[in-house]
Amino acid sequence: MKWKSALAAALLPLAAAAQPTHVPSFSGKTITILVGYKPGGGYDATARMLARHLPDHLPGKPTVIVQNMPGGNSIIGANHMYNVAKPDGLTIGTFNRNLPIAQLTKVQGVKFDMLKFAWIGSAANEATILAIRADLPYKNWDELRKAKENVVIGSTGPGANTHDFPLLLKDLLGVKLKIVSGYSSSADIMLAVERKEVDGRAGSYTSLKPFIDRNLVRPIIRARSNESVIEKLPVDESFAPNPRAKAIMALRSAPEVIARPYVLPPNTPADIVKVYRDAFAATIKDPALIAESQKAQFDLEYTSGDEAVKVLKEVLSQPKDIVDEFSKYVKFGE
Amino acid sequence: MLDAFIQGLLLVLQWKAFVFMLAGIFVGFWVGLLPGLGGATTLALMLPFIYNMQPVEAFAFLLGMHSVVATTGDITSILFGVPGEATTAAIILDGHAMAKRGEAGRALGAALASSFVGALIGAAALALAIPIVRPLVLTFGSPELFMLAIVGLAFIASLSAQGARGMVRGFLAGGLGLFLAMVGQDPQAGVARYTLDTLYLWQGLDLVPVLVGLFAIPEIIDLVVRGTSIAGNAPAGRISKGVFEGVKDVFRNWWLTVRCGLIGTFIGLTPGLGGAVAQWMAYGHATQSARTAEERKGFGQGDVRGVIGPGAACNSKEGGALIPTIAFGVPGGASMAILLGGFFLLGLVPGPDMLTKHLPVTFSLVWTIVIANIITVVACFLLLNRLTALTNVQGHLLVPVVLVLVFIGSYTSNSSYADILVSLIFGALGYFMVVAGWPRAPLVLGLVLGKIAENYLYISVARYDFAWLGRPVVVVLLIIAVGVILFPAVQAWRSRRAHG
Repeated sequence: MKWKSALAAALLPLAAAAQPTHVPSFSGKTITILVGYKPGGGYDATARMLARHLPDHLPGKPTVIVQNMPGGNSIIGANHMYNVAKPDGLTIGTFNRNLPIAQLTKVQGVKFDMLKFAWIGSAANEATILAIRADLPYKNWDELRKAKENVVIGSTGPGANTHDFPLLLKDLLGVKLKIVSGYSSSADIMLAVERKEVDGRAGSYTSLKPFIDRNLVRPIIRARSNESVIEKLPVDESFAPNPRAKAIMALRSAPEVIARPYVLPPNTPADIVKVYRDAFAATIKDPALIAESQKAQFDLEYTSGDEAVKVLKEVLSQPKDIVDEFSKYVKFGE
Repeated sequence: MLDAFIQGLLLVLQWKAFVFMLAGIFVGFWVGLLPGLGGATTLALMLPFIYNMQPVEAFAFLLGMHSVVATTGDITSILFGVPGEATTAAIILDGHAMAKRGEAGRALGAALASSFVGALIGAAALALAIPIVRPLVLTFGSPELFMLAIVGLAFIASLSAQGARGMVRGFLAGGLGLFLAMVGQDPQAGVARYTLDTLYLWQGLDLVPVLVGLFAIPEIIDLVVRGTSIAGNAPAGRISKGVFEGVKDVFRNWWLTVRCGLIGTFIGLTPGLGGAVAQWMAYGHATQSARTAEERKGFGQGDVRGVIGPGAACNSKEGGALIPTIAFGVPGGASMAILLGGFFLLGLVPGPDMLTKHLPVTFSLVWTIVIANIITVVACFLLLNRLTALTNVQGHLLVPVVLVLVFIGSYTSNSSYADILVSLIFGALGYFMVVAGWPRAPLVLGLVLGKIAENYLYISVARYDFAWLGRPVVVVLLIIAVGVILFPAVQAWRSRRAHG
């Protein structure tokens, strides 16, 4: 049997040498980023920016293009990624960060299991805050909490962070808020703030920052997040009167860590997944991309696929009573 | 102020900015001509090209492209009855009817001249409004926006045929439009309404497949049934001749052109109403200019005023839509939202600064709209003979090409087969409406205004209870709405008196 181990020993370096050829090369291929929204929004803009820089970090410098598959708040795109797209690494998908909520609350039309996607990770995280007009008498969270009169908050509608975040502040923490929904966009609410039709709005910190800088609104409270700039703001969960309320607030904010999710179809080979994870991590650190994203006022930050799956497991493993309670407040949307 | 005005012009005339504008115009020209491929989508696609440009060059490129789309969209609408853009559907009613009568040249001449004048009005309004822009936009809160939608809906009275029967049909069609606007997830409770358990309808009916079906398919059926060319048996020589007649028509109806231009600017200026509304209100206003019952009946059969009205509004609204985008960072529509992204990319922060520190840049935007339109209109006039000749091509050669354009056009809105199904369904509906003499314009008006009216009514009541009814601008708009509704009756009375 000696010759066999000798042969193995002789072949070992060969096998090791063969390893690099296993790294899939995309030379001459075209990779499609499937976006679950129409052109023009934040998900689309992020995908188009990544498409410009990903080729430099993928083996073989493939061409990367963006394809839009809108509809059903991007459920249609996710269904396509799950059931139709081939697991060959040539199609990657990005969609609504709240799709785990859609799966959790069993929204009709969902034909995917979030956990079975091959997760590349997320290209950004989002921090939701509530900001109110700077000329109001409430300067901070403590003062707002003790407000006697209703503070009017504009929202785009259920399922959006402009709506759900203040709704939980109102219903679970008892803040005197009056939520007026139906504005066509968060920019539209901002205009309503400016003409004093509403007193404030909730939304991502990045989208509110220009207005905070202009001293039109003042940040008051935030949801749990990784954003370091607003660390000093109080966090909604820490004021929860009971564990159940805390769980509901945590559940609402959980998907915000994976605000720009990117996935490969289920059963994509592990080596392809690894190539993409590495490429995303490198692309988001690329100085050229950082310069561009800063100009466009997006804050890109890579959250690894493993981290994303951890968040998803946390969201999707909630006990039934919490889910039922949660669905009373939060509906899937946008 | 004047200084900045001239500085803005000089900025656009720098050779680099000018070349980029020409490139933008070239792209916009084709995007406008091809149905479905919308201006907003193209802007999103072109955004990455501006990373390495200076602000003035980038906006010459983007805005040059954008302000051309609506102009050339009119051409497709008039020649084939296929809406080149969602914002150029109203011009079909009379424009295509003229083309079928062999007056494609005159219709195109009128459309190009009126959209040119409209662009100038929009740009002038933008320039003049700069000092008062902030208070002006801030006056229009949700209650006022709701009332504006009501004024828009009141135009159903003008868009319907006269007489009790015509009115009832108009209002029923408008009601159907309002009903269709309800499809989708509602923004107050998040309930899915009339979605037939499909994901496709969650975000509501898309306007493009509906318009393409409603307007283009009946024309295609008509063309097949007639078995001739679009212009029928009109002699070939006549078709392209009327171009200057059309230009003259604009000057003959000068004040109508100006008024419709102002309607467009105003609708553009109000964020949330959207470009699809402006053309129909302008068309409705144009029908009010009919002096006799016979004249009123001529609308929809090829009255040149029905071309001039929406033509003028279609481009002037772009100047208006820039105002809230620049002054507040609040886009007046989907295209403006993408332009806003461009602002950020270039390091310009929309807001008060754009009206003071960056005033030359703001004026360069105004100039870009003006110059891009001059170039496009001249280019179009050079091509008109070739374009109008298409209405002389035999139907059996034209129909396959137009059908392909129609289906690609509707498919591009969601890349879903359901888009084509929607077009076919509305095509059948449109065909039967035409055959039975029901007006399609009120249906479209209901569809575009339904959601706006619903949302702003909800916000007004939720925010102010009933106190909003007493706001001065609301009252004024209410009086205007009543006036618009009663106008056809006044018209009928006037024409009776003139005859009797």
